[in-house]
Amino acid sequence: MGSPMEYNGGSVVAMVGKDCVAIATDLRLGQQSIGVAYNFDKVVAVNDKLYYGLPGLATDVYSLREHLRFRVNMYRMKEEREITPKTFTHLVSSSLYEKRFGPWFIEPVVAGLPQPTELDPHPKPFISTMDTIGCITTPKDFAVAGTAADKLYGAAEGLWEPDLEPDDLFETISQTLLNAVDRDCLSGWGAIVHVITQDKVVTRRLRSRMD
Amino acid sequence: MSDAPGGGGGAYSFSLTTFSPSGKLVQIEHALAAVAGGDTSLGIKATNGVVLATDKKAPSLLLDTSALEKVAPICPNIGFVYSGMGPDFRVLVAKARKIAQAYWKVYGEYPPTKVLVQEVAGVMQKATQSGGVRPYGISLLIAGWDAHRGQSLYQVDPSGSYWAWKASAIGKNTVNGKTFLEKRYNDDLSLEDAIHTALLTLKEGFEGQMTENTIEIGIVTCPTADQLVEKPGERLPPTFRKLTEAEVRDYLAL
Amino acid sequence: MDTLVRQLSRPAVPVHGEDDEAYGNAAEWGSMGGYGNLSRTGAISGMTVPRVLDPISFLATHTDNLSTNPEAKIKLAHGTTCLAFKFRGGIIVAVDSRASAGSYIASGTVKKVIEINPYLLGTMAGGAADCQYWETYLGIRCRLYELRNKERISVAAASKILTNLVYQYKGMGLSMGTMIAGWDKTGPALFYVDSDGQRIKGNLFSVGSGSTFAYGVLDQGYSYDLSDEEAQDLGRRSIIAAGHRDGYSGNTCNLYHVRENGWEFIGNYDVSQEWYKYNEKEKKALEHAGKAGVQGGSPMAVEA
Repeated sequence: MGSPMEYNGGSVVAMVGKDCVAIATDLRLGQQSIGVAYNFDKVVAVNDKLYYGLPGLATDVYSLREHLRFRVNMYRMKEEREITPKTFTHLVSSSLYEKRFGPWFIEPVVAGLPQPTELDPHPKPFISTMDTIGCITTPKDFAVAGTAADKLYGAAEGLWEPDLEPDDLFETISQTLLNAVDRDCLSGWGAIVHVITQDKVVTRRLRSRMD
Repeated sequence: MSDAPGGGGGAYSFSLTTFSPSGKLVQIEHALAAVAGGDTSLGIKATNGVVLATDKKAPSLLLDTSALEKVAPICPNIGFVYSGMGPDFRVLVAKARKIAQAYWKVYGEYPPTKVLVQEVAGVMQKATQSGGVRPYGISLLIAGWDAHRGQSLYQVDPSGSYWAWKASAIGKNTVNGKTFLEKRYNDDLSLEDAIHTALLTLKEGFEGQMTENTIEIGIVTCPTADQLVEKPGERLPPTFRKLTEAEVRDYLAL
Repeated sequence: MDTLVRQLSRPAVPVHGEDDEAYGNAAEWGSMGGYGNLSRTGAISGMTVPRVLDPISFLATHTDNLSTNPEAKIKLAHGTTCLAFKFRGGIIVAVDSRASAGSYIASGTVKKVIEINPYLLGTMAGGAADCQYWETYLGIRCRLYELRNKERISVAAASKILTNLVYQYKGMGLSMGTMIAGWDKTGPALFYVDSDGQRIKGNLFSVGSGSTFAYGVLDQGYSYDLSDEEAQDLGRRSIIAAGHRDGYSGNTCNLYHVRENGWEFIGNYDVSQEWYKYNEKEKKALEHAGKAGVQGGSPMAVEA
């Protein structure tokens, strides 16, 4: 039955800009070669400054999303504060490692803007990604995952540049995703892009190839 | 009823999970009595930190006091001090350290003071409701710093109740100590002032000579923005630390 | 069965490299486009196969015919949708243009209809090289037939050349699922030929990973009495449906129409653009039906 990581298909990419981050996903849900739905959103908001994407096995996308919702809500109530992108990454990572010997078939991507504080009035935009058992990487430029990951690397490597303003970051991440999924049989079928800034989140649905 | 074993508490003093008709758990009252008989400890929150201080009197001249530890670091940002039964304290310190490490393992950072306080208070509460155990015979003063709430000072009692204080004293002479602190405390106190106030408070009703061997001090210092920048391969400097004997001697000399 | 196959295929082995004209002539006259081993009669001779006792089982361990053996060194591209059907106006041939290697889309502009000669078309599914090489070779054989007999080869005969040819290599990893469509004395003719050696005459075929989706649309819309425009649209629509649903098909649709005087290339259509167009049309039709009232709606509609 092939790899569970390729069973449903789908990809997520996140990028850092100037005082902003963006995260984008395709919308395909498949069963191997067959496309089943084109409204399968793999990106979830933790709050209006923190989003994460879960590309991988669709059943685990739902289960892990609910697991994390539970953990974040408990965190909120216990700590009486919003979780930071960095702390959330560690939470996801330890949730994944808990299943070291029977993993979630998911490679999460996290993107967020830490809240400015007195001690750190200009926090850096944050992105991170993990493998299926929670090994964290925190790139300074972009993070990719899913069946089109290798193609996303190529596109992002060519298109990304430092300190992009929100509008340019939107254009960059959109082109990266669209061009990458057009070279992947198992991703595509529509896309959603979120651009997160300190004062708002802009969410757009992209019209993409449907084959 | 007065003949019942258990030290005169009557039938309700046997099982700590049984309420007396007046609504009290008598074993907890006894635990508080054990705390009230313990050596004095106190804590003061300042504008830029917190101080914990305690009386560390040795029952014998022959005892090596340098091996006695009453102020305990739990994690880089939190420290405990206690009044009451030493062995119970060490058990709680071990549990608290484990809780802090477990938190670090999940979130990649040490717990905020309040979270650790709640966890430890939970441990102490459980000992008032479980079968076959007795309550902890100590009260804790917990000082810590975290990015969310800054410096803070908490007290936890054997019942599991906890409070946040600007300044507090536990153990022997609590009433006198608190009265003294009420007079001396103000909201603009610096950490240096707080350390001196702590020493003066401790001196009230101190039996014998106060030296670097007979008291212990722990302090929380609020970090600067610069200190919070992570350098590769380095850990952030701790915000809680114990004063060395030399440092205590210097403060006593002033 | 296997023993029989082995016996039948054995002659292909010893002729290797010992053929009279194979090498010498090719070297003398320069490149013969890979067909330097044509014998005097035009038959392929001495196609090199592994020089082992049992080339069939040897190749089976090294060829990944069904994309199931990751250890195999020779991997074949799968993922295609091809269809062809006969109707009153001739034959419609429609294919997609995607070439995939695993989940990677290696190309979106592959020509999967092979123009064997002005009256014969072949479609390509399975191994691209196998289809291209042997259908080109089929073209050579058809031309030789024409020169020798002073008349065009029938589609039946042409497809039989191909099926006999691939049968010689049965079990050695050839992978082709092809449709041969054309017009001969008997009128329009359509055959399905594959590398198992199967050869079927029929009115309607679809081949490849997306064939089931194409069949769905095709069967639903097919009638022998379709007009030229309707038939072309049905072929195109079927490929678009398959290109949409099947991850390994898509990009563009190439459409051909075979008539009495040979085939005609109708056009190249972007699957995605066409899908949006059909979708828009369908939406409008539904809206229109909604306005027209319950009678105009779907026969399976349920009251809200």
